[in-house]
Formats: sequence, structure tokens, C-alpha cells
Amino acid sequence: MGVKVDIKKWYNKAEIDGKKSTQKAFMLDINFEMENELVVLFGPSGSGKTTLFKCISGIMEPDNGIIAVGSNVYYDKNKKINLSIQKRNLGYVFQNDTLFPHMNVRKNIECGLKNWKKENRETRFMEVLDLLHIEELETRYPSQLSGGQKQRVALARALAPKPEILLLDEPFSALDTEIRTKLAKKIKTLQNKIRIPLLFITHNLEEAFLLASKILVLHGGKAQQFGTQEEIVYSPRNRHVAEIFGLSNIFDDAYVKERDEESKSTILESGSMQITVKYLNFRVRDEVCWGIHPENITIIPPESGFEDQNENLYLASIKSIINKGPKKRIVLKLVKHNKILNAEIPAQFVDSLKLHASDSCLVKLEMSKVVAFYCF
Amino acid sequence: MLDQIWFPLYFTFWIAIVSSLLVLCSGVIIAYIFARRDFRGKKLAEVLITLPLVLPPTVIGYLLILLMGKNGFIGHMIYNVLGTGIMFTWQAAVIAAYTVSLPLMVRTTQAAIEAVDKELEYAAYILGRSEIETALAITLPLAKRGILAGLVLSFARSIGEFGATLMLAGNIQGKTNTMSISIYNAFQSGNDELARVLVLILILMSLLAIALTGRFVGKIEA
Repeated sequence: MGVKVDIKKWYNKAEIDGKKSTQKAFMLDINFEMENELVVLFGPSGSGKTTLFKCISGIMEPDNGIIAVGSNVYYDKNKKINLSIQKRNLGYVFQNDTLFPHMNVRKNIECGLKNWKKENRETRFMEVLDLLHIEELETRYPSQLSGGQKQRVALARALAPKPEILLLDEPFSALDTEIRTKLAKKIKTLQNKIRIPLLFITHNLEEAFLLASKILVLHGGKAQQFGTQEEIVYSPRNRHVAEIFGLSNIFDDAYVKERDEESKSTILESGSMQITVKYLNFRVRDEVCWGIHPENITIIPPESGFEDQNENLYLASIKSIINKGPKKRIVLKLVKHNKILNAEIPAQFVDSLKLHASDSCLVKLEMSKVVAFYCF
Repeated sequence: MLDQIWFPLYFTFWIAIVSSLLVLCSGVIIAYIFARRDFRGKKLAEVLITLPLVLPPTVIGYLLILLMGKNGFIGHMIYNVLGTGIMFTWQAAVIAAYTVSLPLMVRTTQAAIEAVDKELEYAAYILGRSEIETALAITLPLAKRGILAGLVLSFARSIGEFGATLMLAGNIQGKTNTMSISIYNAFQSGNDELARVLVLILILMSLLAIALTGRFVGKIEA
């Protein structure tokens, strides 16, 4: 059973606020397919993540396209299908606490089981209590629960009617890191148990990497890239994706000089600098960007060799060293190419090499770690 | 004198209770629609419902007579069905009380419903509950205090109603004289003792209403 989403939606900011405003029309243009897996939706605020959820759940109607979960078509513009919220069999946990404050935990969970036969209802109720380890909360009211407990109950309530897809909109954003990580792990094991498609919105990179079997990156209402963690971090499709996932040291002055099928590599020229990267789907003379994560830069003492551009080995001078807890940020200047790189190196290593500002050193940019992509 | 107190007291309460029940049923529905639906002419409808709050009661009475009198649109229909008019009856007093107290109910309840987080309603829809089920199980229970406050205000307003009632139901001793009208009568005929007792009773009742409203409204804001 898979999920297919291919929707477009236009709207004016003015319509949302109910006020006249000159803000440009925002467009949602998202297209992806997923299996029974855990997909994380990642993107800055205002990128359309929650709007996408509202379209899938039926709270909002897209202007065009199709939304299907398994064999159920929720929305199809051409066939004029638009199921009501009630008829879409999905679970939704909102960012804010949406437990019904005047009902205890049992009543909250049973709200989704009203159409079930009485004997099945009780069994199912006990099952979800057990699944989320909230047996002892049965008679409590939401105001008597902690933040973490509330979100467990919200999850139990969403899962109780056996939904065919689960939508989680930053469910843990209000919780502190420790509980957050614990619950994120819980979600992962839960997904393995229930085996339904699960979409999870988060702002938190760590959470995204912990959870995702795939990541859908959104920016400005558009799906930028859909792929595994490895693909998104090391083969971002464009600069938006690269930056969202923490790539820095980005240079936009490069073009493809050569592609070598034998050694499966691509050679870029970036100003006076030459750099070898993975074999990528570029054409010769394409203008591209390249960058490298600060923690993937290796520093070598100068006495161990000379600059060798074919090996991505460059001579550099240390501009400054900044303490960042267990790591040190080292600002490097590539001497011959007039480029600045920020590296993050474990503090211990920096100390053992006795590195100081204005020292010179060699910088190695591992070919497999250098990220290259079309700028736009 | 007991007779002269008993009838208006009983009559006033009867009118206020019937009117408040009608206000409760219709006011909650109207408030829900105003709070949760968008339709053409919504602003106009809101203004029309609120108008009795600012119009002089005699003007309301006059308009109601135009509507409810034998030649009025509704009055004519009633006359055709029942064979008798409703002017100068207790029903007319209920209509007058209903008209002036409905806006209090609608405004208070609408504000209370608008304060209920829409996401709670969506959560219920997603769990398969229909809009009516959700309104009854989630929205209205959460707007309960606002509805109760509106009810107390409407009830108090019905008890104090004078102008519109006088015009629509008249001033018929033992038939349509409410407390307010009886005070006016007693004062006019120089029966100061009766007037004083009736005034005292109305003041006590109003204080009670304020105390109750204060409690409900205070809790909403808290």
C-alpha cells in the first residue's frame, strides 16, 4: 500500500489573514510517492509543510491534482473526488495539544472508536494503551498530564481507529530534548510495528536524521528533493536543500571541467582552484556550486606534503581558531586560491597538532565528502 | 396587596423562562452559524440580530407591531392559522422579551464559540465525528460558560423588559402586567407602597443576575 500525492494549490496571503495585503500568492506544488515507510518533511517555516498536511487530511482543498492512500482516492480534481475529512481514514497529531480538555484519556481515545462494536472497542482501547505505555493515565484529564504524556495520548487517540496513514505535525516541538529523543525513538519502533505510511514534520535536523527512512525537503511551497538521508546530504539537488541540511563553505564560481568515467569522478574548476568530486550527472561546462560540511574537512600538518590539486590537497593558512565546546572552529584561507573555508575539528586533535592562528597547514577535501550541485 | 404582587411576579418569571428557553435554543444555533460559517449577508444578519440591543424599546415594539399585528406579515399568518391574533396576550410578551434578549445570548455565545480552538474540531472530524456530533460533544461543552453567561444576561433582560412589552402585549391588569409595568402602574396610581415592594424585588433579582453573570464571565476570562 502506498501513498501518492501530486497537488497544486494557490492562494493569497490576504485570504488567510482576511485582510487586504499585497503579499504574493503562495503556491504549493508537491509531488511524491511513498510506501509503508517513515518520511520526514523538512523545510523552513512557511515552506508549506502544514498546508500539505491540511490538504491530505481534507481540512483544506487543493486546486488541482490527486491524493491517494492505498486504493482509496481522497482527492482527484479530474474525477471530482473530494472525500470529507470524516471519510478519510487517517491519524493526525497536531503541533499544539488538541486533546479534548473536558474529556479524560479514555473518552478522548474512544472518540475515534464510536463506530466500532462495543466488544471490539474495549479490546482496541486496551491495545493502544499498551502500545504507548499509558495504561495508568486512563482516568486522567489532559490538564493532569505532562507534555510528553499528552503527546503519547494524542498518538494513541490517532492510532486507535486503525488509520491507513499517520500524519504527525511537529508533535514533540514543545517538549525538552530528552523526552523528545525518547519519543522519536518510540515513533520509529511504532512504525515498524504498525507498518503504515507515516509522515512526520520537523524543524529539528537531529530528529529528522533519527527518524527518516526518506526525507522530503520543502522550500517555498515546492518539493525540492525526495530521497534518503545519504542522497540529500551528499547529493543535494540545489542550494536550498544544501543549505537547509547545514552545508556551508559553498562556492558558486565553479564549472565542470572534465568527467572521467574510468575513475568515476568529475573535475570542477572553481576560480584558480581545481577540485575532484564524485561522478555526477553534470555535463561538461555546466555551471555548478560546490561545498563541504565543516566537520568533513581534514587538516594535515604542512611537513607531510605539498599542495596537490589532483588529490584535493591544498595549502592553507589558519586565520583564527574559535572554541566551540568539544570542537574547534578553524577559519582557513587557501593560500593560492584566495578562498576561505570553515572547518570544525575535535578540540583534542587541534591541541595534539599544536595548531595556532597564522600557522600554515595542508587541507584535504575528501572527494566523497565534497558536495556539488546545480546552484538553482 | 399580595395579589397585586403575586400575579406580576409569577407572570414576569413565566415570560422570562419561556423567552430564555427559546433564546437558548435559537441563540446557540444562530451563534454557532455566525461563529463557524461564512455566507453571503452574514454581516447584515449579525447587524439585524444585534439591532434590538441599541434601538429604543418603543421602536422595537412599534416594529414588532408592524410585523405581528393582524395586518403584519407574521401576524396575518398566525391569524389565518389560529383564527385569533396574538397581540395583547402572554405570547406577545414572550415575543417582546425574546426579541430584546436574543442579541445578548448570540453575542456572548458567538464570542465563546469563536474562542474554542478550531483544531479541536478538526481533530474530532478526523476521528470520524460529524459536525453536529462535534458541536454537541466538543464545541458547545467548551463554550459552556459563555452560553450560561448569555443565558443569565438574557433572563435578566427579559425580566426588566418594559417598552416593547407595553406596546405589544399592552397593560392589561391580571393578564399582561409584568413587574416593570406594575411598578409603573402603581406609581401612576399613587400606590407607593406597592411600587416600593416591587422595586425592591426587582433590585434583588437584578443583583442576583449580576452575581451569577460575574461568576460565569469571570471564569471565561480567567
